[in-house]
Amino acid sequence: MAHVRDSDTSLWLHNKLGTSNDLWSGGSICSQLNQDVLRNIRECFIELQSQVKLKLLLSFLHIPRRNVDEWQVELEEILEVALVDSDQWVSMLAELLKTYCSTGMLNFKIEENTTVFIDLITELKKLVRKHSDQAILPMECLYLNRSALTAVVGQPLQLLKHFALKRKPKSAALRAELLLKSSEAASNIKKMPLT
Amino acid sequence: IKLISDAGFQAEITSISTASQQLEVFSRILKTSISNSLEGGEEEMEKILPEFTKMVCHGEHTYLYSQALLHQLSQEPKGGSNIKRLSQEICKYAQQNGHDATPITMALNGAAANPRACQALSAMLSKNALNPADITVLYKIYQVAEPPPVELLRVPQFLDLLMDSLFKPGTKLNPDHKPKYIYLLAYAASVYETYKKGTRKTLNKDELKATTQAVEKVHMICNEKKGSSELIAELNTLYQCIRFPVVALGVVRWVDYTVSEKSYFKLSTEHTPLHLQLLDEVSTCHTTLHQKVLDLLIRLFESPQEELDVLVQLEMKKMLLDRMVHLLSRGCVFPVINYIKTCWHRQDTDVSLIRYFVTEVLDIIAAPYTPEFIQLFLPLVENEEITGGMRNEGENDPITEFVLHCKTIMVI
Repeated sequence: MAHVRDSDTSLWLHNKLGTSNDLWSGGSICSQLNQDVLRNIRECFIELQSQVKLKLLLSFLHIPRRNVDEWQVELEEILEVALVDSDQWVSMLAELLKTYCSTGMLNFKIEENTTVFIDLITELKKLVRKHSDQAILPMECLYLNRSALTAVVGQPLQLLKHFALKRKPKSAALRAELLLKSSEAASNIKKMPLT
Repeated sequence: IKLISDAGFQAEITSISTASQQLEVFSRILKTSISNSLEGGEEEMEKILPEFTKMVCHGEHTYLYSQALLHQLSQEPKGGSNIKRLSQEICKYAQQNGHDATPITMALNGAAANPRACQALSAMLSKNALNPADITVLYKIYQVAEPPPVELLRVPQFLDLLMDSLFKPGTKLNPDHKPKYIYLLAYAASVYETYKKGTRKTLNKDELKATTQAVEKVHMICNEKKGSSELIAELNTLYQCIRFPVVALGVVRWVDYTVSEKSYFKLSTEHTPLHLQLLDEVSTCHTTLHQKVLDLLIRLFESPQEELDVLVQLEMKKMLLDRMVHLLSRGCVFPVINYIKTCWHRQDTDVSLIRYFVTEVLDIIAAPYTPEFIQLFLPLVENEEITGGMRNEGENDPITEFVLHCKTIMVI
């Protein structure tokens, strides 16, 4: 019986996740998962196509938290099988997801896939440090008050002065004119009798 | 493919699906792309982004792996913030293309340590829409004495949604909940913390109250859809509040929506509409917002205003160039001149407008000039087609003066 169930599960997964035109799982199978199905998946995992394996592992991220807590054992058993998979993508993903079920966070203590992760990070960190003067601000920095900004990225770089200004641009006269109009408008409002 | 990659020809592997089949090949291409995007600064990063984001977002697995890698790199104290921006641009692209990357964002940003905040945020980010129930949850969480890190609120997509709900004309918020939206935005913009070995040592809320009040005041002004004559009486308040970057950003957004309405310029009677003068104030107060202002000005400059008379269109474009000259006078030099140069090279802009820009700039600048500035600006000033008819034989010819000055410096 177990064998029949395995092949059913495998076929079901291939039907659900085997299309090659969309490589984002989006958690489409999450609503159909339960502990029994997950146990079956573990049994047939090794025979699945790589793409199906990848999408299955990624669907873990879309499972509601309370279910992750409930199914932690089954999910982690699948991750254990995936960790030693012959496809390096599958193994890498399984390793990143290793702590996800217990902590909700990704695992960065990479031991199985060091060349494509730890070594790469070490090399890239050198580049990151080398180009640290580029000062490309993260998006949220535009919102931050000066002190909050300094707390996040340090003192802002001073703009290089490319020329001196011999007179103010036209905008300065416009601003003065506008302020004058504004104070006139404000005093008119004050003068208006209250009804 | 692996052999091509082993031989170091990453650039030769152009098909994304081929590149992403083997992790080792993908990781090398990723490394090359990250390295290229860091080398040229922000402008270069912008150029590389379309290809790069497409490659990373090819599949959810390529996305997860790349973002995990970038997350680790963004933790680097020196230069990590450059990488953070790269990671955010990728996230934005994924979201714009209909992919739900929220679970990956939340698995990376440490939100799991605060399950209730994480759940409320995830729900809104996944749907790309705010709702009063989840906002109330976050509001309560961030009111207690020991709230979660402010960093959690600083998810760009969340801030963007808050901005739209407060500064997009016509958006109606339930008055009972409105203060919560304002509080969360002001909290994200003003509160800062210090950490030592992962533990929070200080939580500074000194500017929270003033920031909240400023957001509230300007939100009220923008929300009431006042005409210029009513707005003018509020000018002092607007100028005061624009000093807060978050408010300035809100004003830019509000101005953007307002002036993008089809009939805005047709109905406008002033030479320089008040909304655009507010952009000048933003440029004056915040160098970090220069690019945002310039982007909007460029969009307007290139927007077809077919309903306007040709001469009125030209006047409007000159008025927009005045705003760009203002930006340049506040230090946004290269992006502005580069844009005008692009207009010139594309040959789609009336030469009288290029001439106007050059004249206006020469009118306000004086030596000493940096060599980079001369290199950039001199070709426009020297160009016969642009300035040929404007040179005087006698004195007081700013064009000849500038050209001679630059030539002398270059000889030295």
